[in-house]
Amino acid sequence: MVPTAAQQTIRFTLNGKPVEARILPHHNLVEMLQDFGLFGARESCGQGLCGCCTVLVNGNAVSGCLYLAAFIDGADVVTVEHLASAGTLSPVQEAFLETGAFQCGFCTPGFVLMVHQLLDRNPEPTEEDIRHYLSGNLCRCASYREIIQAVRSAAEKRKSCATG
Amino acid sequence: MMPFEIAEPRSLREAIGLLGRDDPSVRPIAGGTALMLMMKAGVFRPTRLVSLRSIEPAFARTTLGAEGELRIGALASLSSLEHSQAVLNGAPVIAKALRTLSNVRVRNVATVGGHLAHADPHMDLPPVLIALGARVSVLGPSCDRLIPVENLFAGYYETVLARDELIAELIVPPQGGRRAAYLKCTTRSADDWPALGVAVALDTDGTAVHEARIVISAATHKPTRPVAAEAILRDGISDAVLRRAGAAAAEEAGVISDTHGSAAYKRQLVRVYVERAVRAALAIPTGKQRRA
Ligand SMILES: Cc1cc2nc3c(=O)[nH]c(=O)nc-3n(C[C@H](O)[C@H](O)[C@H](O)COP(=O)(O)OP(=O)(O)OC[C@H]3O[C@@H](n4cnc5c(N)ncnc54)[C@H](O)[C@@H]3O)c2cc1C
Ligand code: FES
Ligand code: FES
Repeated sequence: MVPTAAQQTIRFTLNGKPVEARILPHHNLVEMLQDFGLFGARESCGQGLCGCCTVLVNGNAVSGCLYLAAFIDGADVVTVEHLASAGTLSPVQEAFLETGAFQCGFCTPGFVLMVHQLLDRNPEPTEEDIRHYLSGNLCRCASYREIIQAVRSAAEKRKSCATG
Repeated sequence: MMPFEIAEPRSLREAIGLLGRDDPSVRPIAGGTALMLMMKAGVFRPTRLVSLRSIEPAFARTTLGAEGELRIGALASLSSLEHSQAVLNGAPVIAKALRTLSNVRVRNVATVGGHLAHADPHMDLPPVLIALGARVSVLGPSCDRLIPVENLFAGYYETVLARDELIAELIVPPQGGRRAAYLKCTTRSADDWPALGVAVALDTDGTAVHEARIVISAATHKPTRPVAAEAILRDGISDAVLRRAGAAAAEEAGVISDTHGSAAYKRQLVRVYVERAVRAALAIPTGKQRRA
């Protein structure tokens, strides 16, 4: 069946809750999230290069600026807003605050989500692993040194949480 | 972006039926990473996209046959290949090339089929797959065909596929004892598009070379095999042969100038990188490393 260019309805899980959205086929994921009042994923380069628009879709990080909203139908979507939804910051967020891993903060949501992904897959990354994994995230304030420190510190925090 | 409609067929055959042969504004979309950029830039203004995301899940699978043949579904994501045990066992050079292909988020979404059909000459997997002798199985409305990846590209951003043909699978033949390497040279930041990519696959016995494939990409309008350089390598590996092969490849590759460097500069890169790629494949130290 071919839907028309008019609005279409999609259903998906957004930050743990089932939701429905009316979207236009040419809208991207960042635009759609804004309709839900979620502004953590923001479009900056618009080309997949900077990571400011990072969103987790079915457990994988994607660039929301290059992802059609229509593709979200049936998916599980997590944005940066979900990390502290229980009222406490995640260990990664705490580590970013404590190390001062930002200046203006524009790139921070993207970095924080990518670091969550990195540590889920590789709980004890080397500096080389960290640099490689985050090579698709740009920080125009150049907080890179502090960001790498924050990843190390977040890895430590998560380890101590895990072992009680 | 301009408005368009999206069709969501449930099978590859149904997708082919929705494409049609005549309308350039109707196209398949897989991961969408390349198409989104083209649509945002206004280079491509579709009326309808035929999404391949809901077709049979088998087209996203990767398997390694008993003989060592790799079969990779067109919808497999690049990150699924990067971490696939089948790929690591069957053709580890693919997994290695993927590490520096774009970034984690793009690899999570981009598909093998979309990667090959996009036909940007700067892309990393085409030269590697050509060196490995890979083929794609292509389905169309009336007939299906197998196309060597080497013959898939017609030119700059152009393939030999008709508008209603789809790549279904990528097939990498058993590599046996063949050794392969891929090197790229970026002239601006490390994550930039390369000025040159060189892939080699060699069937050797000591310094004797039974078969040699060299593929030059990025510096050329499509991935190109410098066959004279390949023939020189069959003389057997020595410092002099490697130098001659590099020089021959630089001569015959048809290198072009672009924002990544002049043709003269890239010819010099070819000369140096062909030699380095062969050394990397055979794990022979470079002259400098030996002196050190
Ligand atoms: C930020 C960024 C950086 C990048 N860096 C690199 C890099 O360093 N190296 C590199 O090699 N590449 C790089 N790329 C390109 C990337 O590899 C491609 O965008 C990606 O592989 C395309 O796959 P896709 O599934 O997203 O294709 P889509 O965008 O969905 O489609 C691409 C093309 O293929 C067609 N198509 C899709 N599937 C099929 C099919 N099964 N059969 C026939 N036609 C099909 C579409 O109609 C379209 O013409 C980069 C891309 C981005 C966005
Ligand atoms: S805005 Fe999407 S990656 Fe930069
Ligand atoms: S903190 Fe300003 S862009 Fe990273």
